Amino acid sequence: MTEWLHHLLILPILVPLAVAAALVPLNERERALKGSIGFVSTLVVFLIAMILMGLAAAGEDSLPGSGVYQLGNWPAPFGIVLVLDRLSALMLCLASGLALAAQVYSTARWHTAGHHFHSLIQLLLAGLNGAFLTGDLFNLFVFFEMMLAASYGLLLHGSGPLRVKAGLHYIAINLAASSLFLIGVSLIYGTTGTLNMADLATKLAALPPESRMLVETGAALLGIAFLVKAGMWPLGFWLPTAYAAATPPAAAVFAILTKVGIYVILRLHLLVFGAAAGASAGFGQSWLLAGGVATIAFGAIGVLASQAMGRLAGYSVLVSSGTLLAAIGLGHEEMLAGALFYLVSSTLTIAAFFLLIELVERGRDAAADVLAVTMEAYGDFDEGEEEEEVGVAIPRTMAVLGLCFSLCAVLLSGLPPLSGFVAKFALLKGLFEIPAADPARALTAADWTYVTLIILSGLAAMIAMNRIGIRTFWASIEGTIPRVVIIEITPVVILLAACLFLSFHPAPAMRYMQETVGDLLTPSLYSERVLSAPRAGDR
Amino acid sequence: MLLIFLLAPFGGSLLVLFFPSDQRGATAWFAGAIAFVCFLLAAGIYPFVTAGGVLRFELDWIPELGLNLTLRMDGFAWLFATLITAIGVLVVLYARYYMAAEDPIPRFFALFLAFMGSMLGVVLSGNLILLAVFWELTSIVSFLLIGYWHHNAHARDGARIALTMTGMGGLSMLIGLLLIGRVVGSYELDAVLASGDAIRNDPLYLPILILILFGALTKSAQFPFHFWLPHAMAAPTPVSAYLHSATMVKAGVFLLARLWPVMAGTEAWFWIVGLAGLSTLLLGAYFAIFQQDLKGLLAYSTISHLGLITVLLSLGSPLAAVAAVFHIVNHATFKASLFMAAGIIDHETGTRDMRRLSGLFRYMPITATLAMVASAAMAGVPLLNGFLSKEMFFAEAIETHLVNSLDTITPYVATIAGMFAVTYSLRFIHSVFFGAPPADLPKRPHEPPRWMRAPIEFLVLACLIVGIIPGRTIGPFLHTAVVSILGDRTPDYSLAVWHGWNVPLIMSFVALSGGVGLYFLMRSYLATGIEGPPVFRLLQGQRIFERVLVTLSWKWARSLEQRFGTRRLQPQMLLLVFLAVSAAAVPLFRRGFELPPLVIRGIDPAFALLWALGIACAVGAAYQAKFHRLFALVLLGGAGLITCITFVWLSAPDLAVTQLLVEIVTTVLILLGLRWLPKRIEESRPEDIPLRVRFRRLRDFLLALAAGGGMSLIAYRVMTQPTPETIASYFVERAYSEGGGANVVNVILVDFRGFDTLGEVAVLSIVALTVFALLLRFRPHPDSQDIPLQQRVQNAFDDDHPDRNAGDSIAEYLHIPSTIMRWMFPVTGMLAAYLFLRGHDLPGGGFAAGIAMSIGFLLQYMAGGTRWVEERLRIHPLRWMSIGLLVAAATGIGSWVFGYPFLTSHSQYATLPIVGKVPLASAILFDLGVFSLVLGATVLMLIALAHQSVRAPRAHARPARTEREAAQ
Repeated sequence: MTEWLHHLLILPILVPLAVAAALVPLNERERALKGSIGFVSTLVVFLIAMILMGLAAAGEDSLPGSGVYQLGNWPAPFGIVLVLDRLSALMLCLASGLALAAQVYSTARWHTAGHHFHSLIQLLLAGLNGAFLTGDLFNLFVFFEMMLAASYGLLLHGSGPLRVKAGLHYIAINLAASSLFLIGVSLIYGTTGTLNMADLATKLAALPPESRMLVETGAALLGIAFLVKAGMWPLGFWLPTAYAAATPPAAAVFAILTKVGIYVILRLHLLVFGAAAGASAGFGQSWLLAGGVATIAFGAIGVLASQAMGRLAGYSVLVSSGTLLAAIGLGHEEMLAGALFYLVSSTLTIAAFFLLIELVERGRDAAADVLAVTMEAYGDFDEGEEEEEVGVAIPRTMAVLGLCFSLCAVLLSGLPPLSGFVAKFALLKGLFEIPAADPARALTAADWTYVTLIILSGLAAMIAMNRIGIRTFWASIEGTIPRVVIIEITPVVILLAACLFLSFHPAPAMRYMQETVGDLLTPSLYSERVLSAPRAGDR
Repeated sequence: MLLIFLLAPFGGSLLVLFFPSDQRGATAWFAGAIAFVCFLLAAGIYPFVTAGGVLRFELDWIPELGLNLTLRMDGFAWLFATLITAIGVLVVLYARYYMAAEDPIPRFFALFLAFMGSMLGVVLSGNLILLAVFWELTSIVSFLLIGYWHHNAHARDGARIALTMTGMGGLSMLIGLLLIGRVVGSYELDAVLASGDAIRNDPLYLPILILILFGALTKSAQFPFHFWLPHAMAAPTPVSAYLHSATMVKAGVFLLARLWPVMAGTEAWFWIVGLAGLSTLLLGAYFAIFQQDLKGLLAYSTISHLGLITVLLSLGSPLAAVAAVFHIVNHATFKASLFMAAGIIDHETGTRDMRRLSGLFRYMPITATLAMVASAAMAGVPLLNGFLSKEMFFAEAIETHLVNSLDTITPYVATIAGMFAVTYSLRFIHSVFFGAPPADLPKRPHEPPRWMRAPIEFLVLACLIVGIIPGRTIGPFLHTAVVSILGDRTPDYSLAVWHGWNVPLIMSFVALSGGVGLYFLMRSYLATGIEGPPVFRLLQGQRIFERVLVTLSWKWARSLEQRFGTRRLQPQMLLLVFLAVSAAAVPLFRRGFELPPLVIRGIDPAFALLWALGIACAVGAAYQAKFHRLFALVLLGGAGLITCITFVWLSAPDLAVTQLLVEIVTTVLILLGLRWLPKRIEESRPEDIPLRVRFRRLRDFLLALAAGGGMSLIAYRVMTQPTPETIASYFVERAYSEGGGANVVNVILVDFRGFDTLGEVAVLSIVALTVFALLLRFRPHPDSQDIPLQQRVQNAFDDDHPDRNAGDSIAEYLHIPSTIMRWMFPVTGMLAAYLFLRGHDLPGGGFAAGIAMSIGFLLQYMAGGTRWVEERLRIHPLRWMSIGLLVAAATGIGSWVFGYPFLTSHSQYATLPIVGKVPLASAILFDLGVFSLVLGATVLMLIALAHQSVRAPRAHARPARTEREAAQ
C-alpha cells in the first residue's frame, strides 16, 4: 500500500503527460470531450496535489519513501530524483489549481480559438509540476523546457498579429535564457561532477576556490535565466506585452510561470547558498535585492501608466515578482513565511484578474481608455450644470463583475482586510521584527526602501485600479452589458473565494508557510533525506 | 457580546443586499433595527466600562503573527460607539425619507451598515493592526458611499479623491503602527498603552509620529490635507451627516486621542499637531464664510472644528484632552443636525445654493428654528453645548504649555477663529431663512415629513439639554471616557455653565460680537455671490491634487515607463546578453580568474583546417543572416557538418549520428519554411549608414565578442582543470551490469536518465504541436503569396512552346532525382530499423531512428509532392506521437507492478530467428516510444509546412476567380 502511495509522487507529472498524449489524436471537433477529459485529469492532479500537501504538512517522516522518488531506481546523486517537501507540495497545489480554473474558463469559448489547447494546458501542467518536484538540475532544465514550450504554444493560441508578435518576442527571449540555463548547468556539472541539488549543496563548501569561482559563474548564469522567467528589471520587459496579448485562460496560468523562477531561486538560494555554503553563502543576494527593488519600482510605474487592464495586470505580475525577489534579497529569515503567503495570494489574485479582464472588457470600446485620463486632468463636467442625482441600479451582470473587480482591486493593492493585506503585513512584520539572535539589528536603508516601495506599489495599484474601475463600472453604464456565462465567472469566483478564505482564516496557511520556511532554512536535512533514501528492492 | 456588537452591522449589511429594491420601507426598517440593536447593546454594556473598567474579547486570527481579533471596550471607546450607533439610528430614519424612489435602496443601506460596522471596528479594536484594518475599511466603504450616485461626475471625483487621500494616510499609518509593534513587541493596545515611555524615548519615535500623524491628519481632513472633505459632500446628505459628525473624520481625532497617552507631550507632537490644528481651525473657518453651497459651508466648518479638537489634543495637558473629548461629542450632535437640515432644504427646495435661497422661514418655520439652534451651538452661543467646550478650549488656549511662539499665538488664533465661526453660522441662518421670499426655486418649499424632521429635533434637544445642565446629562459619560484615556492623570474639571467673569468668557464675548460685526461688514461682499474665499479661491486644493496626481501617475509614469522599459526585442536581447556576461564575469573577477597556461601541442593540420572552415561558415552565416537567408542557412549547415565530423574525430559516434540526422532535418525544414518569408532587400549602401547606427553596431559587436570570447575562456578553463569525481564514472561502471547495454550513452538516455529523455521528447512533441497549430492559421505575406519565381519561369517556358502544356516543366522538374528518392524510402526504413535495434549496444537508438525514418518521409514529400504522398500513404503523425508518448510512459509504469519506481528497467537477451541474439531490455520498449514520438513530431512539422503550399494557392486562387467573374 505504501508502495502505491509512493508512486503518487510522480503522478502530478505522469497524469497530465499521458492525458495530453491521449488528447492529441482526438478530432478537434470533439471539444466537449477533450475539455472534459482535460478537466478530469487536472482535477485528479489537483486532488493528488492536495493529498501530497496533506502528507507533507504532517512531516517528512510520514511521507512515503521519505518523500524521495528515485526514477529508474537509481539512487541520488546518480539517477534523477523527485523530492516532495512542503514547498514543492504547495507549488503543485497552486499550479494545478490555476490550471483547473483556466481550463474550466476556456470551455466557454477560448478553447475554440486554436488547436490542441487542452493538450498544451496538460503539458504545461506536467512541466510545471516536474519543475517543482525535481531534485536534479538538468532534469529541472528539461521540465523548464517542457513548461516553456507549452507556454509558447499557449501564448500563440488564438493567433492574430498582436499575439504572434508578442509570442515570438517571448520565444526569442526565453530561448536565449534557456541557453544560459544550459551553460550554467554544464559549468556546475563540469566543476562539481554532480547534477543533484542536494549533492551539490553538500559539495560546495569543500570546493577549492578556483572551482568555487566556476560554480558561482554557473550559478550566476542560472540566476539570469531564472530572473528572466521571474521578470526582474531589466529582464522583464517582454512580460506585460506577452501576458496582455495572451488569451485569458493562458494568461491566468502564466501567472504562475514567473513564480517558477522565484521558486527555483528560493530553493537553490537557500539550499545551495545557505549558511553552510562556506565562502559562497548568500551568493548574489545583494543583486536579488537591487533587482527586486528596481522591479517593484518599474512595475508600480507601469501599473500607473497602463491604460488597458491587460497591461495593468501584466505589470502587477512584475510588482509581485519584485516584492518576492527583494524579500529574498533582504535576507531576513522572518520575512520568508510572509513571502510565501504573498506568493500564493498574489498568484491567485492575478490569475483571477486575468480571467476577469476579458469578461469586463467584452462590452466596452477601447476609445474610452484615453478619455478617462484626460477627464481626470481637465474635469469633464461643467461647473454650473448639476446633473440630476438619481441612482442607477447596476444590472446584475455588472454587479457581479463589479464585485469581483473590487475584490481584485483590494487584493492587488493590499488593502485590508483581504489576503493581499495579510501577506504584506506578514512581510513587513517580518521585516520589522527584532530577531532573537541579533537584538541590536537596526533598520537599514535597504529595509526602508523596501517598506516605502511596498507601500507605494500598493498605492499605485489602488490609484490605477480605482481609475480603471470608475471608468468601467461607474462612468459608462450605458455601454453594452457583456454576456457572461456561468462557466466563465465560476473560476474567477472560486479563485477569489480562495483568496477570501486565506484572508479570514489565514492561520493554518501561515503555520504551513512557517513550517515550510523551517524546512528551507535547514538544508542539511533536505540533503540527507535525498542522499540517504533507500533503493526499492534489490536489483 | 462585543463580537455580536461588531458583527451585527456587517451581517445586516450582507442581508440587506438581498432585499428587493422596491421594498424601501422594509429595507430601512431592517437597517434601522440593526443600528438600534447595536445602540441598545452599547447602552447595556455601559455598567462594565465605568470607572476605568475595560471589556475585552479575543479571537484568533493569525496568532502566528501576533495579529488577533482583539476587541476592547473602555469608556472612551464606549462613548464613541454610542455616538456612532445613536447617530446611525437617526441617520437611517432620516435616509428613509430622504432617498429618492429611483435610488437602489438596498445598496445604500448595505453600504451604510458596513460603514457603521467598520467605524465601530475602529473604535473597538484592541489590536493596532486590527485598527488599521478597520481604518482602511472605512476608507473603502466611504469611497463607495460618496460615489453612490456614480453617474454624477462630482460624486466620482469626490469618491476618488477621498479614497486616495485617506487610503494613502492609512497605509502610512499602518507602517507607523507596525513600528510601534517593533518598539513595544506587541500590537495589543493594552501593551502599547502601558509602554508610553519606551515609545517616546525610542529613536524611531519621530518616524512613528510622522507616519501615524499623516494617517490621522488626512483622515480628519486637517490642513493641508483638508480638500477631500468638501468634495465628499457629493455623497447623499445622510451619508454626509454621518461622515461629518460621528464617523470618518472623527476616526482621525479618535486615533490621536487613543494614542495620546503614549505619543503626546513631546515637542515634536506639540509642533506638528498644533501647527496642523491651528492652521486648520483658522483656515477652515475662514473658508466656510465664503461658501455658496450649504453643504460646502458645513464641510469647511467641520474642518475648522476638527482643527479645534486637534489643537486641544496637541497641547498635551489632561484638561485639554477632556475638552477635546467633550467637543467631539458636541460637534457630532450639532453637525449631524445641521447637515440633516441642509438636506431637508435641498430636498424641499431643489437647491443648496445660498445665492438662490432666502426667506425660507415662512415656509418651514420648525426646520428653521431647529437649524437656528444648531447653528447657535456651532457658533458657541451660551446655554448650548458648543459654548461649553469652546469655553474650555479658550481656557486651555491661554494656558502656557510650552514656551514657544506657537503657544503664544494660540489664544489669538482661537479668538479669531471663534469670530469666523460666528460669522458663518450667522450667514447660514440669515441668508437661508430670512430676507425676501425666494424666487425661481426648482420646487415650492414646504415642511418635510414629520419623521424626517424627528432626528433633527432629537439632536437639537440634546444640544440644548447638554448646554444647560451638562453636569447631570453628559457629565458621567464624559468622565468615564476621560478616565479611560487619562487614567490617574485625570484632572479635576467642571462642566458648569457659569464660571464667573474670566478671560475665556471675554474671549467668547469678543468672538460673538466680532463675528456679528464681521458678518454685517461683509454682507455686501458676500452678496456678490462669488464662490470661495478671496485669494485662496485661486488655490484649489482639489485641482492641485488632481494635477499632481495626473502628472505623477500618468505623465511621469508613462515617460518613466518608456525611459526604463522597452517593448522592442533588440534592446531586450542586448540587456540579456550584457547582464549574462557581467553576471558571469563578476564572480570570476572577484575570486581572481586565471587561465591555465595555454599549451599548444600536437595539432593535426587536417583538424585545424576543418575547424577553420567551420569557423568561417559560422561567421559567414551570422554575416549573411539578415538579407541572404538561404546563404546563411547553407553556411549554417556547413558549420553543423563540421561539428559532426568533430564528434567523430573525438570518438563520440552517438553524438555524431544524432547531430548529423538532426542537422539534416532542421535544415530541410527551415528551407521549406524560407519560401514563405517575405524578401528582405538591402537598401542602404554602406556609406549612407549614420554614425549612430555604426556606433550601435560596434557596441553590439563588442558585446558579442565578449560573450563568445568569455564563453570560450570559461570552457577552456573547465576542460583544462582536473576532472572532478563525477557521476559519469558510475554510469560507465554499471551500464552493462545493471543497465543491460554496452552503449553507455544509450543506457544513460533510456535508463539512467530516461526521465530526461521522456521530458525532452515531450518537448519535441509540444513544439511540433505548436508549429502545427500556428501554421494552421498562417496566412503568408502578400509578397510571398505568388508562386515562386522559378515556377513562374518554368510556366512561361511552357507557354512559349506550343508543344508543351502548362505545368509540364514543373512536373518534369528533377524527375530523376525524385524517382531515386521514391526508391529510397524502404532503404531509409531499413536504416531506421537498424539504428533502432543496435541502439542499446552501439551508436543509434530510438531518437536517431525516429529522425532517420522521418527523413524518409521528408524525401517522399519533396520528391512527389504533398498530394502524391498523401494519396499513397496513411500519415497520422498525431497518432504516432500520442502512441509514442503513451508507450514510453506505460513502459515506465510497468515497473510498478514489480514494485519498482517509474522507469526501472529490466534486461536480458533473446534469440530471434534469423536476426540472432538480440538485447531485450524493457528499455527497448521505452526507446520504441521515443522512436514513434520523434517520428510523429518531425513529420507533423513537415506536414504543417507542406500543407501550406497546398493551401496557399487555393487561398490565392479564390480572389483571382472572383476578379474574373467580376470582369465577365
